[in-house]
Amino acid sequence: MEEFTKFVRGGILGPIKKWGTKWSLWPVHLVTACCGAELAHAFACGYDGERIGALNYGIARQTNLIIVEGAITRKMARVLRITWEQMPDPKFVIVMGACGLNGGIFWNGYNLVKPSEVVPVEFFIPGCPPTPEALLRGIRQLQIKLDKGVAENSVSFSEVKAEKGKKPRILPRGVKKVSLAPCIVIAREKEVEWELGKNLCEKLKVLGRAVITARNRIALKVDPDKLRSSAMKLRDLGFDHVKSVNVVDAPNEGKFIVEYWISSYSVKELMPVLINLHSEISRREPKISSLSDIFPSADYLEREMQDLFGVEFVGNPWKGRFLLAPDAPEAPLRKDFKLQEEVYVGD
Amino acid sequence: MISTLFEIFKSNMVQIPLIQPIIDYLMQIPLINFIVALILWRPFFAVVIIPGLTVLLLYLLYIVWFERKLTARVQWRVGPLEVARPIRGAIQALADGLRYFFQEAIVHKEAHRPYFVQLPILAFIPILLPIAFIPAGNVVGIKSPYAVQLVVAFLALIPITIIAIGWASNNRFAFIGSVREALIYVSYEIPFIIAVSSMIYLYGSGDPYVAVEKQSIVPGAIMNPIAFLVFIIAMLMATSRLPFEIPEADQEIAFGPFVEYSGMLFGLVMVLAYEKLYVMALLFVILFLGGWSGFYCELLGDLNAPLWLFIKTIIVISILAIVRSMYARYRIDQAVRYSFSWLIALSIVALVIGIAVGWIV
Repeated sequence: MEEFTKFVRGGILGPIKKWGTKWSLWPVHLVTACCGAELAHAFACGYDGERIGALNYGIARQTNLIIVEGAITRKMARVLRITWEQMPDPKFVIVMGACGLNGGIFWNGYNLVKPSEVVPVEFFIPGCPPTPEALLRGIRQLQIKLDKGVAENSVSFSEVKAEKGKKPRILPRGVKKVSLAPCIVIAREKEVEWELGKNLCEKLKVLGRAVITARNRIALKVDPDKLRSSAMKLRDLGFDHVKSVNVVDAPNEGKFIVEYWISSYSVKELMPVLINLHSEISRREPKISSLSDIFPSADYLEREMQDLFGVEFVGNPWKGRFLLAPDAPEAPLRKDFKLQEEVYVGD
Repeated sequence: MISTLFEIFKSNMVQIPLIQPIIDYLMQIPLINFIVALILWRPFFAVVIIPGLTVLLLYLLYIVWFERKLTARVQWRVGPLEVARPIRGAIQALADGLRYFFQEAIVHKEAHRPYFVQLPILAFIPILLPIAFIPAGNVVGIKSPYAVQLVVAFLALIPITIIAIGWASNNRFAFIGSVREALIYVSYEIPFIIAVSSMIYLYGSGDPYVAVEKQSIVPGAIMNPIAFLVFIIAMLMATSRLPFEIPEADQEIAFGPFVEYSGMLFGLVMVLAYEKLYVMALLFVILFLGGWSGFYCELLGDLNAPLWLFIKTIIVISILAIVRSMYARYRIDQAVRYSFSWLIALSIVALVIGIAVGWIV
């Protein structure tokens, strides 16, 4: 049987197979970006790709060519691979556009995958986007390559034994389980070579848990009642302003994490250093002492947090609304805040 | 044994004066004369050469190319061309067919494996059987006074195989396609059968010879124009052509029952609708357009009748191909409502006209 298959796929009938495949390249087009418009142009009146036997077809099982149009993200890479695996054997891939070639304008995107890493690519068509002439030339080149090449399978799979007997009944899977309490990690320790940071850490360790999270970044966790004294200690070390105040809501753990990002303008070697001074407070009574008299730049930021999260900064003179409109709801950025449902008239 | 068979073949051969000298020469050579006698034996000639399998293949090559070319011209395009420039790309369908033939035929894991592979081949039986009963003058496979009824009965078997194909595919699109096929089947079959029976009442017989003889002065299309109309619409619905391309809507359900087929198996199932169209158009020509009657050429002899039948069939199908590139698709509920209200009413009117005209004539 295997030899028969080999004979049918290649062998004496090879030229016939090559001729048929050459003039019947049906592309299934995988549009992820604007190159799809150029493909539509190439197959509409004017250029008419059907002249050379290429007919656009939406279904992977009955086609033999993929035209990848545009950037392939990690999510789409899976789709590309599935589409490619669904297609029957003599199958080819053409990638059009700069995005598929080496990323294009997304060249340093964190989520970008090159199509050539996912499937074997026959031809790349450069351009942003390529013109219809370029696309048709790409298909033409594939035809020439088929004409000159050897008639053989474009892919080979390892042999799998066919199952015999009754198939086991597969029941549908249950509901996905979602973790109830995902832990929020603020400070994860990291090994870096940074002498100054290690010295600073040694000094800060008396206040609470001090770790280096990256180069020039230190996280210092203190108890809420030690916050003011820690801030004073930092001021004595040379840090003179608060860059940002931030509140993280962790409803599953029943706490708020209040962060102060502290840095320095006056001491030169401390300028690039950012210290994340944070402490956890209970969600039931969100109260923490203010640092606005130690670092005046924290004042407005604390007021904003008070508006958005409803955390009370004891010692901050401001009471009432700061940024939000007077009729805005309480603490809109808390995670358990429910949006008001829209009511459609006459529904 | 062989000599008896040879005598049977020899006594009932197609007479074509144009190639008679060649046949006379070949009949003197042993063994080859047996093959020649078999090919020219009337039943074999009717089923395998014309209007049977050989011209059916030629027709398939022609109609796929013609349809694509026509659609392209309507859309201001050129259509298939470069594969054979001097004949305007007329062998495009051959290239597609060869490509399908050599492609891998995937049988996926969820499919019912034996049925999935067998059904495309089994579906040919109800398509090829009617051809044995459709006569073309003297060239006929099986002579029967109930030929029209038999053809209609065999045509009614085809949707069952298509529904079975959808079931064996075990795919959600295939299921939807099968259900749609079943819905369309019940909605076109009743008007179609009533329209055909009105013509049977008109001619007083289900015998194609009687039908063609009665049309010698006025064709059936003029005698009963409403049955003519109903038959055309039912033909469009039965072969899922565009205004009623509901079971195979490739934009919504990706070719419906045929979604999982690939390679040679898809080649087989794709031409099912075209073959059904061919058989229905043959019946249409016999019932409404005077069958094989036409200008008689002495040189062709017995070949006259099949050629006329084939040419008329091709013309009918080519005209129907225009519909594909001009109309949008009906929704399933629109098509079913339309056929159960207007089409059935029209077919009953056609039945009354058929009985009245048959009584007068």
